[in-house]
Amino acid sequence: MKTLKIMLALGMLSLASLSVQAVEIRDHHKEVIGKDCKACHDKGIKQFPSDQACLQCHDVSELAKQTARSEQDKWQNPHNNLHYGKELPCQECHSEHETKKPLCSNCHTFKYDKHKE
Amino acid sequence: MNKIDLLGRRKFITGLGIAAGAAMVAPAMAVSEKATGIKWDQEIEIVIIGSGFAGLAAAIEAKKLGAKDVHIFEKMSYFGGNSAINGGLFAAPVTPMQQKEGVEDSVERMVADQLAAGRGIADEALLRHVASHAMEALQMTLDAGSEYHPYLQQLGGHSVARTYQTTVSCGAGITQPLLKKCRELGVNTHNRSKFEGFLVGEKGEVLGIKMRENYHFGEDQPGKIIHIRAKRGVIMATGGFAQNVNLRMAQDPTLTSEVGCTNAPGATGEGMYEMFRLGAIPVHLAHIQSGPWASPDEGGFGYVSNYSIYNFPHSIAINRLTGKRFMDEIADRKTRADAELACRDEQGNALPPILITSYADSKKHPNTEKVIKYNVGWKFDSVEELAKHFNVPLNPLKAQIEEYNGYVKTGKDAQFGKNMTKAKDKYIKAPFTVVRLWPKVHYCQGGVMVNTKAEVKDSFTGEPIKGLYAAGEVCGGIHGVSRLGSCSIPECMVMGMTAARSMMKA
Repeated sequence: MKTLKIMLALGMLSLASLSVQAVEIRDHHKEVIGKDCKACHDKGIKQFPSDQACLQCHDVSELAKQTARSEQDKWQNPHNNLHYGKELPCQECHSEHETKKPLCSNCHTFKYDKHKE
Repeated sequence: MNKIDLLGRRKFITGLGIAAGAAMVAPAMAVSEKATGIKWDQEIEIVIIGSGFAGLAAAIEAKKLGAKDVHIFEKMSYFGGNSAINGGLFAAPVTPMQQKEGVEDSVERMVADQLAAGRGIADEALLRHVASHAMEALQMTLDAGSEYHPYLQQLGGHSVARTYQTTVSCGAGITQPLLKKCRELGVNTHNRSKFEGFLVGEKGEVLGIKMRENYHFGEDQPGKIIHIRAKRGVIMATGGFAQNVNLRMAQDPTLTSEVGCTNAPGATGEGMYEMFRLGAIPVHLAHIQSGPWASPDEGGFGYVSNYSIYNFPHSIAINRLTGKRFMDEIADRKTRADAELACRDEQGNALPPILITSYADSKKHPNTEKVIKYNVGWKFDSVEELAKHFNVPLNPLKAQIEEYNGYVKTGKDAQFGKNMTKAKDKYIKAPFTVVRLWPKVHYCQGGVMVNTKAEVKDSFTGEPIKGLYAAGEVCGGIHGVSRLGSCSIPECMVMGMTAARSMMKA
């Protein structure tokens, strides 16, 4: 019984730490996500969020405006880039539970100072 | 230099290898099976696997020929495959730009150049088929809205200038308009959809496919298998296997994870191996090409590749140990990659050679500024400065530049027999731009055998496998030992179009 309680407590702790970590990575998600994992995990908790989940709140064109670069470097805009236009799914570069490098870094040495890995 | 970034890239590649390996041994790994008793979840007129040049061209052509229900399935989360990240170089004979620039060319001449690079084992009939229809494919891209630089380039191994390049110097300048065109025409496009095997009829004909939906590449999430009936058939446009370290090492043990790769991560080869299981004929799998224009200072294809492809004709490649040239800068890819790999220090460690270009000539390519800006190339005001930076013996280097400039003047390269047409009046003089060169795995010449109708042949009957077509890099044997630069895009597109035509006639 004791073991079960410990396991349960550990389980709760890891769940809690997961959501805490999520909030730590992106402060502005704190209010939206809260404790409702389904806010993002629209296909079930054990499944990755759909490509649409982020777009419930974020607008790609708006994001593209925010990350726009000068005319010469205009295609280095991750939200409207040369290779995939505005179609690159968010999860290629962003994650709430782990750190990620931007997809561009596979081939390019661009700097994205505001990108949280 | 960028040693840290390089290590990061290596780890990334290794990680991918592990992920791919894990996916391969997973018990859920499906293979082709009999369709008897299968409950079809969907029925589709034309199934296309892969969304690169071949898949997109096939979809557009099928629609033009009256297909009602065309679907493209893409394993990755984004469309375009390897086609979206290459140099966007398109070779075709007898084009409007050749007429404008006074270049005399023909289908036969292009085929002859390719046969020479193929070193006796290329498929002449397929090469001729592609060259004969290359202009049609180029026209398809123009109709979709692709834009090209207003000049032709002469790439390694080509006897004349016959290569167009998109204004963005990338294949995305073609895949983006073609994808848009597909959607305008009503082609259905599905991402995160992984091909898992064929469903075959009593006589071995392809009736449909197993498709894994909600698939996340390299992640541990199984997704769901559905069965799709393909009424007219399946076009496999799944590309090469350059990113699958296990498979490429099985063919060439020297291509370990330590060797870089220019390909998109999805180029892992499952589609091709599934066709082998079905009975397709494997051809030339061990001929895997490395790009001799890549740089060790960035990952993948990066910025340097296009920069050097454009600049090779009027540049000198120098061995840093000797200060001397070591190759014809516009020989075919294999010749150059082999020559570069031989550049080593006294201990035998890799010593990536350098490509020296006059800034006045290099700056005409839009990548030059970026190469310098992103620290993957350098500008020097004097030969002394350059030699010091790369630790090249100064006097031999000076002598080599002087000697080469003599060849520019006479139009004859006594050292390596380089075709000096595009080097005319372009002397090597300060200020210079310099990049480092080191080959990266770039293209798999091998694949399944197809005929000029894009039908996949069965290894035992010699007959086409009914309902199965293939186009693009997944096919093998066309180019032989070494594919010439800018000859893949016309091949992918022409064979994609051909597959659609054959299917609509069948």
